[in-house]
Amino acid sequence: MKWGWKRHPRLGVVNARRDLVMEIVSQLERLRTDAYAAIEGASTTAALEEVRVAFLGKKGSLTTILRGMGQLPTEERPAAGRASNTVRDAIEEALSTRGDELARAELAHRMAADAVDVTLPGRSMPIGSRHLINSIRDEISEIFAGIGYRAVDGREVETDYYNFTALNTPPDHPARGMQDTFYVVDRSGGQAAVRGESNVLLRTQTSGVQAHIMEEQEPPIYIIAPGKVYRRDVADPSHLPQFNQIEGLVVDKEITFGDLKGTLDYVCKQIFGPDRETRFRPHFFPFTEPSAEVDVSCGICHGEGCRFCKGTGWLEILGCGMVDPNVFVYAGIDPEVYSGFAFGMGVERIACLKYDIPDLRVLLEGDMRFLRQY
Amino acid sequence: MRVSYSWLKTLVDVTVPAAVLADRLALTGTEVDAVDTVGDGLDGIVVGHILTRERHPDADTLWVTTVDVGTGEPLQIVCGAQNFVASDKVPVACVGTTMPDGRVIKKSKLRGVVSYGMNCSESELGISADARGLLILPEDAQVGMPIARYLGVADAVLDCDVTPNRPDCLSMHGMAREVGAVYDLDVTPERFELIEEGEPVANLVDVTIADAELCPRYTARVIRGVKVGPSPEWLARRVVAAGARPVNNVVDVTNYVLFSLGQPLHAFDLGRFPKMADGRAHVVVRAARDGEPFTTLDGTSRELTSDMAVIAAATSGGDDAAALAASSIPMALAGVMGGLDSEVTDATVDVLLESATFSPAHTSRTSRNLSLVSEASIRYERGVDDNACADFSNQAAALMAQVTGGTVCAGIVDTYLTCTEPNRLTLRVARLQALLGALIPEADVTRILTRLGCTVEPGEKPGELEVRTPTFRPDLPREIDLYEEVLRLWGMDRVRPTLPGGRERIGGRTVEQIRADRVGAILRACGLNETVTYSFAPHDDLERLGMPEEGRGTAVELINPMSAEQRVMRRSIVPGLLRSVASNQAHGVRDIHLYEEGRVFAGVEGRELPREHKLVAAALAGAWVEPGWNQPSVPLDFFDAKGVLENLFRELAIPKVRFKALDPERGPWLQPGRAAEVLAGGRQLGWVGEVHPLALEAFHVKGPVVAFELSEEGLFASARVSRDHVDVPHFPAVSVDLALVVDECVTAESVEQAIASAGGKLLESIHLFDVYRDEDRLGLGKKSLAFSLTFRAEDRTLTSDEVDKAYGRLVRKVRGVVGGEVRG
Repeated sequence: MKWGWKRHPRLGVVNARRDLVMEIVSQLERLRTDAYAAIEGASTTAALEEVRVAFLGKKGSLTTILRGMGQLPTEERPAAGRASNTVRDAIEEALSTRGDELARAELAHRMAADAVDVTLPGRSMPIGSRHLINSIRDEISEIFAGIGYRAVDGREVETDYYNFTALNTPPDHPARGMQDTFYVVDRSGGQAAVRGESNVLLRTQTSGVQAHIMEEQEPPIYIIAPGKVYRRDVADPSHLPQFNQIEGLVVDKEITFGDLKGTLDYVCKQIFGPDRETRFRPHFFPFTEPSAEVDVSCGICHGEGCRFCKGTGWLEILGCGMVDPNVFVYAGIDPEVYSGFAFGMGVERIACLKYDIPDLRVLLEGDMRFLRQY
Repeated sequence: MRVSYSWLKTLVDVTVPAAVLADRLALTGTEVDAVDTVGDGLDGIVVGHILTRERHPDADTLWVTTVDVGTGEPLQIVCGAQNFVASDKVPVACVGTTMPDGRVIKKSKLRGVVSYGMNCSESELGISADARGLLILPEDAQVGMPIARYLGVADAVLDCDVTPNRPDCLSMHGMAREVGAVYDLDVTPERFELIEEGEPVANLVDVTIADAELCPRYTARVIRGVKVGPSPEWLARRVVAAGARPVNNVVDVTNYVLFSLGQPLHAFDLGRFPKMADGRAHVVVRAARDGEPFTTLDGTSRELTSDMAVIAAATSGGDDAAALAASSIPMALAGVMGGLDSEVTDATVDVLLESATFSPAHTSRTSRNLSLVSEASIRYERGVDDNACADFSNQAAALMAQVTGGTVCAGIVDTYLTCTEPNRLTLRVARLQALLGALIPEADVTRILTRLGCTVEPGEKPGELEVRTPTFRPDLPREIDLYEEVLRLWGMDRVRPTLPGGRERIGGRTVEQIRADRVGAILRACGLNETVTYSFAPHDDLERLGMPEEGRGTAVELINPMSAEQRVMRRSIVPGLLRSVASNQAHGVRDIHLYEEGRVFAGVEGRELPREHKLVAAALAGAWVEPGWNQPSVPLDFFDAKGVLENLFRELAIPKVRFKALDPERGPWLQPGRAAEVLAGGRQLGWVGEVHPLALEAFHVKGPVVAFELSEEGLFASARVSRDHVDVPHFPAVSVDLALVVDECVTAESVEQAIASAGGKLLESIHLFDVYRDEDRLGLGKKSLAFSLTFRAEDRTLTSDEVDKAYGRLVRKVRGVVGGEVRG
């Protein structure tokens, strides 16, 4: 700068001012170079922030330089201002670029440090399980709901009228005996109670519900009655004195045996799978006429015969038939006008067929290890 | 019913293999449990001729025999039987034979003497149970012939499971008729020619039926001069095939006729009947006297009741029926079993042959009450056709004379009080087709019914058939019963499956059912597992738990329980759950979360039926989770069960729920201070609490166990059908904390209620976030309850001034109600 001053004193003033501008510009350039270096040298976002403060902060280098601009004549100031803005912008951009770089690197580092062994167990409150029998009951109820059946509920302690008589069971039928059916003490003080006999029993079938419904409701009737039933069997691997049945009843005009077949064939395919066949074998029940037992083809051997189906290729799953006219008469329905069908299936039986349970008693033991499987 | 296939083929010309017949029968209504092949597995057993018999040198009971089996060199066989002599022909199992029981015959040494085979008894051949000695074959048996061929025992036996409505199928002739109907074949009945000789039976026997209800028909014949001995082999074999043991020729004939024709018979030793003044034996069929003793021929002494019928022998009384009956002593238990004293023995000369029918109901009860089931009782309780009694007696007498060498006295004593008439039915073919959903032609209907023994004629109107059903088919009293016969023989498989077309049907579940399912779903979401326990309970269950009976009705007692543990119907679900907890713990399961939805039973004096209530109950023990790497295992307590219930009430939309400390006097089965009754809007729903340590001990359960039991009826009655919608807030809230130091006896609920009523409109919610006790800082018997209070206005942002004012007012009022100091 000195050279200008010496060469031209008049210009010297001008030169001196110009020198000042030049001085500021070169300071700015130095600042830019220093800032770039510092920015490049910052290895963390925190260090970078320090760099920002050192160069651009209130007490930073740029501010100091700008302060020097106060000595400039007014007309020079815009140029110097522009120069400083350019430098500031450049540094800010460099800061931002480097900042992004560092932030990305730090995030990557942090995430690397945060990585977990995804094979470790999760954190949860365990949710509970539905009992196998009730879950099968749900499934079957759902199937019937889909074809227009209502599920109805009834008493577990019944009179022999609804459990037997109204279902056309002869007075001396062995099922009515003390060997097969649980009787409870009659507290009515009525005739039977005084004789020491009882007409009160634990229902042996949910059909009693059907008798009630037929008395209470005009046809058409399309119902199922799922529920607990009781029979005097010693609890062993294949028997329980308390088990579950789903019985169904249809009463309507023009109901045929073909309807019974079609309905139960549909239901069996829904329960066991579309590839399973059904067959109807004539049988005898007091409350239906004609009566049949229904077999479903064995799912293991597909009808070839194996140990599971005892070589027959078929598994017995339910009993059914056309409602006996006597049952209609008991319920006050005219069998010449209406016809219908009824069926009953054991839920435990279906559970056994689907899951091959070796010992039914596990169903009533509440063993967590069993319950948690379903 | 065991059906010998070779016997069946003599009655009906069926040609399919036995297994095919079995399948066909299953599809026409007769289940076949098994097809047994008799005479199978007799390969290697041949007719042998015993040449020598010597005492075993070192054993008193053994014989050393040499036996010719037709192979040249006789075999040396050591034998333990005693019933034979040298020169007898016997079955011999040679070395290498696999016996019917699976045993393989090997060359062996018996007390030092080598044996090359085994001489066989009937039981070893598997053809009867007789193991008393070797089966001695007739002299003309051809040595070396395979024994199965020689005995003609190769046969298939179908074990048929005859349904209770088909008494006619409990006989070979009945099964032949059924098979004839299945395959559209004629049946050729077996007939024996009856030759009557000598004295009329009426001179020897008189019969009085004292009660027509017990016995509709009783016939008697006499066969004189019988020679009691073993039956001919064909007869014995058929009796064995049918499942009975050959006894002697007289008894075997009665069994044969029973199996062949379905008519139970009884042969009495006529000599055992006292002769009355007129020289005749007087048979009386009467009710037994209560307490009357009687020894059946199985040697068991039994006490009879007046519901049972006996065949008795009058000892005096002349023509007076009542006096005859009064003097009579029982000889047989009618329809069930004969008596020991009148049994046919080797000494019997004259046989009194009974062919009768007895009341199904009485026979059934007698059999059940004495736990005595016989081939006769099985048939009588299902119904024996009275129309055939005499004819079948004739058949039996003819056969008996033939095999015993006796003579049949002229005539039959036949007391026939009630005669079963055939049913005359009108069958409407169109209705049959409509009900079955199958266009079964009229010709098929006629053919099937005719094969079954019906007579079928055209009816008065076209499309109608007049059907007369045979009296051996008591199961066909109505038109509908004929439909079943037609359907099962025409083929259920031929009916096309359809679905009902019903017009006015609506399926689905009721609100109650949906709610009950919802309860279960919520409990499962809370981590509980559904279980089902017995509805039965020991009578002292409540007492053991310490649960008072009040409000639970009287116990519903079983008259015939299976065990003392199952004597009554449960009145609470909790004891059953505790038993499951104990069983889990016994198996090493620590964390137990069980719930059950089910019924309890409350007996009501003066009412026939008990009340049934649906409850939901739970029992929790251990912790929710095992200690995990990232989750602590916190022991379950009262608040875990309460938390479950809070979720339940929220989900069921049950408002105004209260948990009220339960007075220990009212809840003695729960640990005092850790039990609450649960109320919703004043309605009692049930209880929740930790089970009393003494109750747990009584159920062998390791505590603590927290449980609850709620009425589902109560829950559903309290549940709101729908919820009110409240718009989500649009303006910000202000949260202020309030820590209040109160006496220990002040409940959180009361403080909360005080805050709620003091908070005014701006107080939106109260959240208790800390309970703190510190004797030094707070003082003895004090606790600090810290609440976070949220203030908000619906329509504006609250100013701090407003909040301060509301808070200040709230604190003043709350302190006024519950006392206490605000902690700074």
